[in-house]
Amino acid sequence: MELLAFLNLDELALAMSQMSMYPLFESAHYIVSVMSLKEQPGAVEVACRSPVACWVSSMLYCFGGAILSAVLLAEPPVEPFSNNSHVLVASLIWYLMFYCPQDLVYSCTSLLPVRLVLSGMKEVTRTWKVLGGVVQAQKKYQNSLLVMIVVGWAKGSGHGLISNFEQLVRGVWRPETNELLKMSYATKVTLIGAIVFSMQQSHILPVQKHQLMFLYTLFLVINKVRMMLTAPSFPFAPVETAIYRVLFGMESTHSPSANEADVSVTSPPETCTAAAEAIKPASPRHNGSVCCDAEQNAAPSAEADVDCSLKLAARDDQQTAAERIRTD
Amino acid sequence: MNLFSLLDLNELALGMSKLSMFPLFDTAHYVVSTMALKEQPGAVDVARRSPFACWFSAMLHCFGGAVLSGLMLAQPSVAPLSNTGSVLLASVVWYLVFYCPANLVYRCSASLPVRLVLSGMKEVSRTWKVLGGVTQARKQYTDALLVMIAVGWARGAGGGLISNFEQLVRGVWKPETNELLKMSYPTKVTLVGAVLFTLQQSYRLPVKEHHLIFAYTVFLVVNKVWMMLTGSTSSPLAPLEGVLYRTFFALQPEQPSCATQVYPGTLAHLSGKNSDKGAAACATQKRTNSAAETGGKRSVKGSHTETRKDK
Repeated sequence: MELLAFLNLDELALAMSQMSMYPLFESAHYIVSVMSLKEQPGAVEVACRSPVACWVSSMLYCFGGAILSAVLLAEPPVEPFSNNSHVLVASLIWYLMFYCPQDLVYSCTSLLPVRLVLSGMKEVTRTWKVLGGVVQAQKKYQNSLLVMIVVGWAKGSGHGLISNFEQLVRGVWRPETNELLKMSYATKVTLIGAIVFSMQQSHILPVQKHQLMFLYTLFLVINKVRMMLTAPSFPFAPVETAIYRVLFGMESTHSPSANEADVSVTSPPETCTAAAEAIKPASPRHNGSVCCDAEQNAAPSAEADVDCSLKLAARDDQQTAAERIRTD
Repeated sequence: MNLFSLLDLNELALGMSKLSMFPLFDTAHYVVSTMALKEQPGAVDVARRSPFACWFSAMLHCFGGAVLSGLMLAQPSVAPLSNTGSVLLASVVWYLVFYCPANLVYRCSASLPVRLVLSGMKEVSRTWKVLGGVTQARKQYTDALLVMIAVGWARGAGGGLISNFEQLVRGVWKPETNELLKMSYPTKVTLVGAVLFTLQQSYRLPVKEHHLIFAYTVFLVVNKVWMMLTGSTSSPLAPLEGVLYRTFFALQPEQPSCATQVYPGTLAHLSGKNSDKGAAACATQKRTNSAAETGGKRSVKGSHTETRKDK
């Protein structure tokens, strides 16, 4: 990485990689996590009805990644709770966030500048978590790249991946949707990070650890801040759709013969409306609160927009083709 | 504990703490658990349709705590099934309770005096389970209080905490409610026990182990018997709980439905002050709360149906 050396950033990267996460960045992570729990529909009512369920739910938000990665590696899932001070800080934040008089803490932290800083800090912890997961998996499985990727991913975006079960604690069960069906920005970006870090740790990628940490953190923070400030869009959306169209696009490979054209003329609008409907429940929330849900809704909506326009174009082509055949 | 030496209870407590649970108290636990399963709506139908599902469900009722604590500590969750004697005993009890001709065993054990004794004995086994969970967690995590509490709680009240998944075995799926959202009396009292035993085990409570075992068991049994005799569904901890809830978890004053919803039966005099507005505003919430607050499984069932009718 000559660029880093050139800009004299090597020192900075090294210093950053030795930074401790615990008091500050972890707290930011807890605050942002508990805030996003509070913004879930029905969460305040649960807090009112049963504080215990609310506490368990927020602990799953804060430590979901560690729990999931422990389950994957057959380590005790209560492991994260053995760290008394972390759990105490998280519990304190949970209490202040939900039960503070006048809702003072929540209204403070949901101010845009404060939230911007906190979200940025939360993204920093993501790097450390992904790396922690990858290293944890590497201790047990030396050469298996996939295990490292999976554990790193689970540790970095655990709460999203176990969201179905976290909702179950609150009495909500929505099996028709999950994080794999509709991957959010955070989950996608964590997957990329897990792949990159796994490759670095198994010496496939010729980068040093601290440099990669620096670059990935920078990428995460800049993206997050940009998404919160401007229109939320996934930076890799074009790449993603290109890959999707090349590898997983089904209808577009058919040649428009008469019968097939008739069938496929009807199908794209259907899928399109289905996609639009799928986004509908998410979009009002995203309009309401500018920043928090950006993470969750940005990617699907952007994706679906592109998808829709593509399919509409395809449909037009097929329609004209069908008309041409008929007139012939 | 001067009280203990004064009343000459020290010997008794020590003798009790060395009591073996296996044949008698465990049997009582299995009988009461299986009876509770049989009283669930639809359980008898399941027993007719698929004895195996019924057996599995009964085993989850009997060994739920051990399974859950095993999962939490990443130990084999089939470990409780490795104890052949216990499993055989539980299976025999399950068979007799469900399939005995003329329903003889169930009818015998459901008569009040027998049930009283059996429930009391089951409560005794709860103490041992909680303590077992706490010491099991302490072996792995010496100084982690929270882990010890969680594992002790899971071990003692496991059947309740995994009830969603136990119901799933019987083909019932009720995600809108779980034991955390509506904590029943056994779950609450087990949580209290887990906290106490954890504090004792980490030397933060200046009590000896056998004293605490004795005091907690007496508390459990007396409570259970009293609740069954009076048919009251409110736990003795309800007033304390109401005070704690009002001090720490009452939400903002602009939400009267939350601030005044505290436990109707026991704290009527407290919430009665602003009952004109509050009672009407949070009538529905009170109802759900009453369900949360009730002890014993039968009463929970009753209030479930109540809420359903109201909906």
